[in-house]
Amino acid sequence: MDTTVTLLAGSSRRLVAELRDALDSCAERQRQLERSLRVSRRLLRAWEPAETLAPEPTPGPETNEEAPSAACIPSPQDLKELELLTQALEKAVRVRKGISNAGEGNKAPSLKSGSIATSPATRASAPPSTSHRAGSRASETKPPRGIRQTRVPTKDLPEHRLLSVGDQACMGQGAGATKPKSGLRNEQIVLSAASQAPEAFTLKDKGILLQLPEAFRKAASRNSRLWAQLSSTQTSDSVDAATTAKTQFLQKMQTTSGWPGSRLSATEVEAEVRHLQKACLLLRLRMGEELTADPKDWMQEYRCLLTLEELQAIVGQCLHRLRELCTVVEQQLGPWPEGRFPRASLPCGGGADPIWSPQLLLYSSTQELQTLAALRLRVAMLHQQIHLEKVLMAELLPLVSKQEPLGPPWLALCRAVHSLLCEGGQRFLTILREDKPAD
Amino acid sequence: MGRRRRRRRVDPADATRALPEAIAALSQTLPAGPSPETFRRAKFDRPEAAPALWRLLFRVLSPQLADGASASFSPEAQVRSVKLALRTQGYPRRALAQLPDDGSQGGRELLLALAWLLARGPLPERLLTQNRVQLGDEMPVCECEALASPGPPAPSVEADGCVDIRHLQWLMGKLRFRWRNLMASQQEQCALLGKIHSYTRGCHSDRSLGHLSVTETELLRDPEGGRQLLRRLERENARLQAALEWRRRELVFWRWMDTVLGACPPEASQPTFLPRIPTPGTGALEPLVRELQALQGELREAVEARRVAWEAGVGGRGPEWSAARTALREAVGQDLAALRQACERGGSCSLAQPHGPHRLVRTEAGAPGGPGLRAPEVIEALRSQEARLEVVLRQLQGQCRQELARLVGAPPGPVWILPPGR
Repeated sequence: MDTTVTLLAGSSRRLVAELRDALDSCAERQRQLERSLRVSRRLLRAWEPAETLAPEPTPGPETNEEAPSAACIPSPQDLKELELLTQALEKAVRVRKGISNAGEGNKAPSLKSGSIATSPATRASAPPSTSHRAGSRASETKPPRGIRQTRVPTKDLPEHRLLSVGDQACMGQGAGATKPKSGLRNEQIVLSAASQAPEAFTLKDKGILLQLPEAFRKAASRNSRLWAQLSSTQTSDSVDAATTAKTQFLQKMQTTSGWPGSRLSATEVEAEVRHLQKACLLLRLRMGEELTADPKDWMQEYRCLLTLEELQAIVGQCLHRLRELCTVVEQQLGPWPEGRFPRASLPCGGGADPIWSPQLLLYSSTQELQTLAALRLRVAMLHQQIHLEKVLMAELLPLVSKQEPLGPPWLALCRAVHSLLCEGGQRFLTILREDKPAD
Repeated sequence: MGRRRRRRRVDPADATRALPEAIAALSQTLPAGPSPETFRRAKFDRPEAAPALWRLLFRVLSPQLADGASASFSPEAQVRSVKLALRTQGYPRRALAQLPDDGSQGGRELLLALAWLLARGPLPERLLTQNRVQLGDEMPVCECEALASPGPPAPSVEADGCVDIRHLQWLMGKLRFRWRNLMASQQEQCALLGKIHSYTRGCHSDRSLGHLSVTETELLRDPEGGRQLLRRLERENARLQAALEWRRRELVFWRWMDTVLGACPPEASQPTFLPRIPTPGTGALEPLVRELQALQGELREAVEARRVAWEAGVGGRGPEWSAARTALREAVGQDLAALRQACERGGSCSLAQPHGPHRLVRTEAGAPGGPGLRAPEVIEALRSQEARLEVVLRQLQGQCRQELARLVGAPPGPVWILPPGR
């Protein structure tokens, strides 16, 4: 059949709008997901020392081979300066300590109990002398940037070759600012990886060495404490008094206004309509359960009957309420204006006890997390499909009944409508027609 | 924490301080809050107070705008937006609507409007929640956000003419494709999250969390971003602190607002004048009316069929029948009590499910774990929801099939060969 099947203008506009809405909300989810994916993928690759404006490289699984390419390379002069400085510091260390114990150039950053230093770009000419753990050390390897700060109080630290973070994007500049920094607690340590072909940092290998900076930890714990305080219902006298005062204030506002009282606001109407939509779905879900149940004895049969009757009564009440709302809308309120004003979003679930900050969701394996996420998407998709199904039914079925039956265009329409409505647009049926012999 | 002072007799010095402190706390917790002095001027309807209060109300009523975005709205646009939003929410006083659009007047009325908003709900807390700094990897466990999308979609600006049904089919196919992509991306993201969580186990100072989130790991990778995050966090902390202060002190504000209201001349009541307020017209309510009617019709059919079957059947006779019937009625009533309540006006449709965003925390398989939802429970709840929704979808499709079969008519019409079964 080569006939094009067209729809009436009015219904087509609504249908296309609904489908586009659905497509847009999908696209929005995808965008958010893509953003998160970019961040996560980048975290699992080797971390680059100079991160500013790093272009997105080809996405790939974590690699831990090549040295990260520095976005800027320290100039030779800077390197020289740094080397001189380093040597001077080393000498100072030697002079001061006198002894050098073990800890000869620990290759790998010690685990959390230790401390780290970063080494500048100079070749490890002489392994910086190290002393006991209580002191400070400089190791020649390159712990990745942003690692934990030293736990050990570091008072005297000429030997620390530490570059404070963030002032430099590039180690070269940092060389000038390399003061032995004590009290690194609140700083993250930056490392540049210039000439020494350092090991790149990957989360997989060294993730467990990470530690959050102190300032952040403090702020975060204060944050969660404050949220908890905000959430907890305070039942003190002052709270009750305030509630009473507020109610009285609202009443006075109402009485001093020139408008008749207890009118429903547009927001309230909208909220009730949405509530009724949800109720409709709940009722339909329950009806579905009852209709598919298989009563085994007469008691169950009767119970099913009673349940359906009760559901019918509830639906009747909802309809009644909806009709009341329609009257309110007609009488008091006007047509929809251009554009949409922002809608006040309430915490979902609308519980009496809103919890303002998120709670925890514990999972134990990646598979579990994937299952959960997949189910959530599936539920969202089903909601959307049901909504679209209702819209399509409302617009397409009348179309089929109105057209002239049995012509080829009509059959094509039926086939298309059947596919859309009954198979989710995925499958098509075949229509066999008996051709009259003489045509 | 200091001791609470018992407020018995407030001495004058305290009293004079209490109000500005309360207002200062309020101002600090709200975005773009003006100084206490501005509030005082507003009480006396001084014109210099008006612009700051218009700005404040604009920020409060459109919180989804980013911090800088409000600058792109002209003052007139802000004024109009505020007026519209307040009317929509049912602000009872007419005087607000009559204020000039240039934002030069109306300090006292705006003050009343702000107080009205504060009195109706936990406004500072809500604003803080909406723009919360997210430190963890969060996943909502319900679909309320998605379902709360705006009602009738804006009509597209495309050609107004007829549309080929194949365009609809194409759009449906596109939609299916997008869902598949979404599913795949989501699975990948979960895998990555799982890795990040397990690679950073033991790193978090908070034992109940155990590992770092993406945000936290990212701040370690990117110190500059980390500093910005820290600043945002500290700003939020300040606002949270101010909100707690406000809650402690707000009573004196309400007493003061009574005096402000008293200073206003009463509005002349004009009972015949009912201004138009924008809402979805009844047209937007039509689909829901039809839906409920359709549901009612289906239920009626089902009930009639079952009643007939019941009457014709053999059950339900005999002396012990009436007692059994009463018991059954009660049982059904109880069974549906929760549903009935959810559907009633003001009921919450939450269906006793978990709600809201939750922070993902990876634990060892056998560990007892602390407070929080467990993934298997959520999975169970979602599975049962999925099953019920599928039933509904199949039912709707079945109805369509029957209806189409009826429309196509009996033979000698064409023969329908349905696609191979599912």
